[in-house]
Amino acid sequence: MRNIFYIAQWEFSSRFKTRSFLFSTFILPILFSLLITLPVYLITYEDTVSTKLIGLINNDDNDLLEKLQNHLNQNYKLDSGSPEYIILPISVENSLLYKEAYDDFMTTTRQLDSLEVAYDDLKTLREKYYRSGTIQNKQYLLKKSYDELIRTREFKDLVQLDFEYYKTHLDSIYNKEARVAADSLLIQNILNAYLVIPKMVYRSSSIEYHSLKPGELLDSERMQKILNEVIIQSRLQEASVNTMQISHWLKPVKLTRYQLRTGGSAEWDFYIEFYGAVIGVVLLFMAIFTSGQFLFSSVLQEKTNRVIEILLSYASSRQIMAGKIFGLGFLGLMQVLIWLSITSIFVFFNLFQAGQIPYLNAENALYFLHYFSLGYLLYAAIFVAIGAIFSSEQEAQQVNIMLRTIAVLPVLLVFLFLKEPDSGIITFLSYIPLLTPYFMILKIAQYGIPLSTEIYITSAILIVSIIGMVFIAAKIFRIGILMYGKKFTVREVFLLLRSS
Amino acid sequence: MLEVLNLSKSFDNTQALDDVSFKVLPGDVFALLGPNGAGKTTTMRLLMHILKPDEGEILYKKEPRSKLKRNLFGYLPEERGLYQRAKVLDLLAYVGVLNRLSHHRAEIEAIRYLDKLGLVDYTQKKVGELSKGMQQKIQFIIAMLHDPDILILDEPFAGLDPVNQMVLRDIVYENKKEGKIIILSTHQMSEVEIMADHILLLNQGRTILEGTLEEIKSRFKENAFYLESEDNIAAIRDIKDIKIIEEHNQSCKFAINGKDITKDKVIQTIFQKIPVKKFIEVEPSLNEIFIKLVQNGTGKSSKKS
Repeated sequence: MRNIFYIAQWEFSSRFKTRSFLFSTFILPILFSLLITLPVYLITYEDTVSTKLIGLINNDDNDLLEKLQNHLNQNYKLDSGSPEYIILPISVENSLLYKEAYDDFMTTTRQLDSLEVAYDDLKTLREKYYRSGTIQNKQYLLKKSYDELIRTREFKDLVQLDFEYYKTHLDSIYNKEARVAADSLLIQNILNAYLVIPKMVYRSSSIEYHSLKPGELLDSERMQKILNEVIIQSRLQEASVNTMQISHWLKPVKLTRYQLRTGGSAEWDFYIEFYGAVIGVVLLFMAIFTSGQFLFSSVLQEKTNRVIEILLSYASSRQIMAGKIFGLGFLGLMQVLIWLSITSIFVFFNLFQAGQIPYLNAENALYFLHYFSLGYLLYAAIFVAIGAIFSSEQEAQQVNIMLRTIAVLPVLLVFLFLKEPDSGIITFLSYIPLLTPYFMILKIAQYGIPLSTEIYITSAILIVSIIGMVFIAAKIFRIGILMYGKKFTVREVFLLLRSS
Repeated sequence: MLEVLNLSKSFDNTQALDDVSFKVLPGDVFALLGPNGAGKTTTMRLLMHILKPDEGEILYKKEPRSKLKRNLFGYLPEERGLYQRAKVLDLLAYVGVLNRLSHHRAEIEAIRYLDKLGLVDYTQKKVGELSKGMQQKIQFIIAMLHDPDILILDEPFAGLDPVNQMVLRDIVYENKKEGKIIILSTHQMSEVEIMADHILLLNQGRTILEGTLEEIKSRFKENAFYLESEDNIAAIRDIKDIKIIEEHNQSCKFAINGKDITKDKVIQTIFQKIPVKKFIEVEPSLNEIFIKLVQNGTGKSSKKS
């Protein structure tokens, strides 16, 4: 026991002040947190410095432009107070095709107008004939004007058809040419995006949003929200609903998600849940692998520089192994405690609203320590065995990378996890000892209520695996540590385990 | 007394040690000799309990090795590895406490030894900053710091300059005087001839020679003599019953050949005929014995019965 303590103390103190420990304790978590939170920050706060131009191709005859602009002005303003979005109707007046179509359309319109005037005149004339009792040839005149009226109407109907045709033509030309113009404005980066409003938009409710980067959700989601408001409002206005009433009816509902937790419900926020979980898992990963790495290189180094012979002279292989595992485990514990203290400072002074993040509580800190300890012991036994089997850092590194890949799996599965934390696959994965600690940290952050059964089961799984793995590692360590320059095959390791 | 009884050890398919036995008395320097791969280091690792024997046992004061406290032994391994980033004093204190010294005591002893070996200015230096010779001295201190009864030194002087060799040899002598058991292995025969009381020559895991230095030398004596004169020694050829091995103008080496003739009689005859300046009995050097034995027989045990 005494020697275990001294070896542990030596391993701890010879690593505690090293640059790599300080780096992975203080710098790495900051870098990592920045790395994952920065994109979100940028998505939310980017580009608010300048006004954005949104093009509008309106195929409907309505006052959407004005309404849209008003709503946008009310909702989105730059810091300077000027509107964030300006709606720009796309003009096609320079297009020859459009000009021709427009001329045809205008000619027909004028023709139709004059026919309508003529028709109305005839109707007025016939009314006059009809009412006048003194007029001569009344019957004849009525008959003649009736023929005229019919003829004019027929002609008018025909021209009306023409008119319809030219109007449709003009609209489609406008639609086509406006898109060409808007596209070129997009490419020149004059427009941020443009909207295409179809005919009878109040009925169809389908609007196109064009941009170079439709993945930029912020603008398109805002447009959708505003268009929704504007169009529903217009529909209600068409139904002659009082404007005051409309704004009352359309007052948006804000949905706040609450989650049942011990100590009451707490507001649920996707970003906090998501990034909290990821940061938790990655910190656990970093803690386990920082100490694990030290352990691994310590074993490997002593094997390569043969210090192990001196150690084995004065301590048993079990004492050495236990001393190393505990010493470096304590180092990892130290790292976790440093992080927990920093976190509790955040919570205490409520920096970044940390006080409102529900899973940052003392109970979960204990769970974190619990799963760190168990996870570390399991990985430590594996690292000791690998360090003892291999005789060069290079060879051992390959296995190390494989282990890391396995351990980082939960981080990759976070999305799957958040979507359905109770799914069979997640439960299954969380019972695989190498992954258990990570999944449990995810689960504990996710659920407010205690998962006692789950915690008992996973702890039992881990403890059994640790005992088994330590047993195997001790055997491998005892023999492997003195085999210099020899590369073990899987079969040899297996035989070694069976024989001893 | 340290007793090694019928020790055998094999790795995979190689027999590293085959039925090796020897005894070492307190105050004796016991030298393990043999070519590379003879089993010297394996023997030492077995003595240090780093490895466990397949067969045989090791007893110290009649106690089996597994019951003995580790700190009765001090070991200088052949492979010179140390924690390169550790500070000298910290490292020595660490090994000291592993060997049941208090931290304070370990530091005092470490400084005492560092002072003795002229390294007292380096206590706060990192091991990696020391020269190779200095690091070897640190390892020497590691082996002796806890004042063990038995010192096991694998190639203790290899790679050291003559001055440092002498310093370390003096320390070995001091330990010898204190009645400690010292087991060392070396390739340097001159070293053995100066220091060793007892020799064990191993080859391919087997004992091919064992005994005290005098015993061995007398056993391999060729009954040869060396003669040096101020005059020409041609007259030597006339003497019967001797065989001249080497002849120069004024010196020669010869062996007594005849069965009936005694050494004294030959000497008398020679002294009558030749003005002798120097006359000595030629002892074979350990080096010669070593080479002869290793080259001749691999398996044949010429163990003293």
